[in-house]
Parts: sequence; C-alpha cells; structure tokens
Amino acid sequence: MTHLSRRSLLAWLGSGAAGLAFGGQARAQISPQSATPLPSFTGPGVNPYWNGVNPFVSYPQKLPLLRMTDRGIQLETPRPYFLTPFTPNAAFYVRYHLDLIPNAVDLSTWRLSLEGNVERPLQLSFDELVKNFKAGSVAAVNQCSGNSRSRFQPRVPGAQWGNGGMGNARWTGVRLRELLASVGIKSGTVQLQFQGLDRGPGPEGKGADAVMKSLDLTDPALDDALVAYLMNDEPLPMLNGFPIRLVVPGKFGVYWIKHLTWIRALTREDTNYWMAAAYRIPDTPDGNTTPAQAASGTLKTVPIGHVRMPVRSFIVVPDGSSKLPSGLPVRVQGIAFSGDGPVMKVEFSEDDGRNWVEATLGADHGPYSFRTWAHTWRPSRARKHVIAVRATDAKGNIQPDAPVWNPGGYLWNRVERQALIVGAAS
Amino acid sequence: MTGSRRLGIILLAAAAALAPGSTARSQATKAPGLVQGGNYDSGNLGMQMQPAPHTDDAGAVYTVGPWPTYTPPLADGEGRELVQSFCGICHSTTYITMQPPLPGATWERLVNKMIGTFGAPIPEPSAQAIIAYLKSHYTPETRKE
Repeated sequence: MTHLSRRSLLAWLGSGAAGLAFGGQARAQISPQSATPLPSFTGPGVNPYWNGVNPFVSYPQKLPLLRMTDRGIQLETPRPYFLTPFTPNAAFYVRYHLDLIPNAVDLSTWRLSLEGNVERPLQLSFDELVKNFKAGSVAAVNQCSGNSRSRFQPRVPGAQWGNGGMGNARWTGVRLRELLASVGIKSGTVQLQFQGLDRGPGPEGKGADAVMKSLDLTDPALDDALVAYLMNDEPLPMLNGFPIRLVVPGKFGVYWIKHLTWIRALTREDTNYWMAAAYRIPDTPDGNTTPAQAASGTLKTVPIGHVRMPVRSFIVVPDGSSKLPSGLPVRVQGIAFSGDGPVMKVEFSEDDGRNWVEATLGADHGPYSFRTWAHTWRPSRARKHVIAVRATDAKGNIQPDAPVWNPGGYLWNRVERQALIVGAAS
Repeated sequence: MTGSRRLGIILLAAAAALAPGSTARSQATKAPGLVQGGNYDSGNLGMQMQPAPHTDDAGAVYTVGPWPTYTPPLADGEGRELVQSFCGICHSTTYITMQPPLPGATWERLVNKMIGTFGAPIPEPSAQAIIAYLKSHYTPETRKE
C-alpha cells in the first residue's frame, strides 16, 4: 500500500501548491481545474457561474485568463485573483472594442498630444511625461460597464462577463489637471476627448474606426484623474494600455482610454458613436428599465459617464467547488468597492439574505480601491446553504437584492450569493 | 468507470483479501475511510507550455508577440461562409459563439447595427442571408452548440 500513500502525498502537495499560487497560503478549495468542463455557452437563462464559461488561454504578459473573444481581445480575470486587494497585472482583465491592438510601440516617436481648444498645444514624449511632471498615485478599481452582464434576464447581447471584468491596481502617473494647466484650456471648452493608439478596420467616422470617449471639463472625477505610466509599480502590460492609460477613479473602465495618445479640448459636446450611441444608460433611478420600455423607442438615455460605479461586494472563497466538512469554521473572504465614496460596511448572511451580520474589513487603501472583507462562518449542520454578501458605501448606498435591467447590460450590482454544500463529518 | 479507476479498486480489494485477520479489521489498519485512490485520467489536462522570457534589445521599441486567435466551429448550414467572411472583417466569430441564445429580432438588429453604425460593407442580399443563418442556429429555439 506504500504507493497509495505516496499518491496521497502528491495530491496533497498539488492542492497546496495551487493554493500558494493564488493566496499566499494553502487553499485547497480554489483550484481552477475541474474534471468536467463547463458548458461552452449559457442561456437563455442566467449564467449561474461566478465567471463566464470561457476557456483559459495564455496571452503575452498574462497568466492564463478566461478568453471571451480573441479578435478584438476580451479576457476575464478568474475568481481566485480577487482574494487580494490589488489584482496582479498578469491577471488583470482585458477589454478592447476593435481589433488593431498594438503589438509594438516605439517610444522614440510616440507622443502624447494635448490639442484642440488650448493656448499652447503640446506634444510630450514618454520621457518628458515622466521627468517633467510630479508623480501621483491612486489605488482605483477599473470595472467594465458591462461586468456581470451574463446575469441579466432576459439576456442582452454584448460581452458576456461573469464577475471578472474588473480589477484594482495602484496607478502612478501625472495628474490630468496638471497636464491641462500646462497647455492652458481656453474658455469655451465643454469636454475633453480621449483617444488611444488602438484602431479598427471600419471606415473613418464610424464606430469600427476608432474609440473616443469624452468627459465634461467640469466633471469632478477629472480632479482625481491620472495619466498613468505605472500599474502596481510596474510598466503597464501592452493589453492594459502601454505606454500610458487614462485613470478616472470612480468611473467605469470605458473612460480609462488605453494607449492614450490624444487629449482634445472640445468646444462642442462629442457626438462620435462611442458617446452618442454606445455606452448609454436609461435616465432613470439606478439605470433601470424594462424590455418593453426599451423597445418603445421613447427611453431617454445619458452616457454612462454621468454616473459613478454603484457599490458592489463579492464572495471569493469558498467558491462552492468543494464540499465543506461540518464542524469546521469556514473563513469567508472577498472584496467590496464603490465608485461613490469608500465602502463603510460589508454584511454577511448565512441564510440567503434574511439575516445579516457585519463582516470584518481589511486594510483601507483609499476610497476607490477594493477593500477586502472576511467573516468566520460556523455552519449549523450538514446540508446545502446559501450565503450572501452586501456592501454599503459612504453615501449610504446599499446593494439592492433585486436585479437591474437595461438594454446595454450595464450597472449590475445585485447582492451576491454563493451556494455551499456542508457535508457530514461523522 | 475508467480503466484506471477499476484497476485501483481491484488492487484495494486484492490487498484486503491478502491481509491477515478479518476484512473489516484490515481495512481499519491500512486506510480507514479510503473510498478511492489512484484515480488517474489519460490524456492532456489543459497543459500549456510556459512563455520564454523576453529578449529584446535596449532600444525604444517595446514589442510583444502576436495575439493568439481561435476559430470557433460555427453551426453547419447555409450562410455560414458569408458569416465567416463578412463578420470576420472586423471581429472573430467568437463574438457570435460567446453570446447567449438571442431572439431572431435581436440578431437582425445586431447585423443592421454592424452595417449602419459600424460601417460593415455587407451587400443587402448577404446581410439577409447572414440574418437568416443566425436565426436558424443561434436563437433559444435553435441553438444546439
């Protein structure tokens, strides 16, 4: 029987090694491997899984991520990477709209242009940007507007994210307001338009040519905005926007233009496709509407940049992939964030959201960062349990326990649940 | 039951039979509670080679390798080649297979959006054939894979 114990040892070592890779300590529960693969698509019902159902694929400068689409590139971050407040660059999600994505950038010819309605148009090299301006840092969550779109019912077209279309990083770079001051924004400027190096094959002036996003010059979010050349103290991976990207703490990722190369002061509101037609939400409380209202054609919409990311919280472990032996305390862990001020409270429910107790918050990395939380749960007996989590932010916003619906699949922030099986221990 | 799993159980049973004393006592001595062990599966469990370290020169050009692509199998049927060639101008057809099954009217709206707002150069007869193909294979009623 010696070979059996050797195999047990190997299995034990294997599970421990998987835990080390993700959490800094052994966590046998979070191995992403599974003998039976997930289905290749879900629907027309809700995607029941935490992540989307896509396969692991390796990309340059990235760990294997969940590949949703390959051209343009959309990669989802697997659940275990959210155990820590900062998402590793190599695991950070990727979302492009168009397919001409840079593979090589020459910093001897690349310039950041500040142009349009400005006193002194400026072209800055990477070196000038780093050396001539004071560096600032902010910890901030970048979340896709459509994160968790696969939860919508009825389902809506678009990137079918689970919960992994988000990440948190410490961004370092130059304050946008400082750059604007150096060129002198002229009066009459209403918006700033941002565009990066990535392009598409479509005809000029159409949505498949270039992605451009604009924010109102007076938007307070611009006071916290950075032009970032470091992400978690490292250069940006190409797929996250090398050499620089715009960082707009509190706003959805669509405004965080990657490979940022043009900043334009506009004297009229931007009417390009990516502002006038795409990424618009119903002008209703919480961006909520119904399929019937959306189909009526009378729905008033606004750009998603008019709102900040609603408060959210997530259960990362346990993930339900393994049965839990009864009698053991279960350390439930996750993250929470809000685009609208710091998270003040995270609450845990052991009974599907009927009763709530306050969880313990981890270190505070600033109002726009992920904040970790943990709670030790002692399940009463062997059976299926449904645990839940909800967060409250500084503005008093609390996650609703009702789904949102809008035709774009935006703004999902419903209370999160996890079904767990507690098994008999004797 | 896999061959290897069967073999593991036979070995367990054989070991128990050869051991002295009662069956119950020998199992308690050797491996209490063990229901199964040594269950291996044959084949490749998602193995990938590690990427080699980057060996660039010290110049100002920062390069990464090509982006991997994947051509998903689309449902067999009339119009499939039109979908692959026209839709593939701007994006891979993972954009189709990624979607949940969508109502036919939604597919029609999406194809018209590609032409109208994104500028896809698809002639009207081909656009109609593409819409018909998507309705035939990618709605809640028709999607199989």
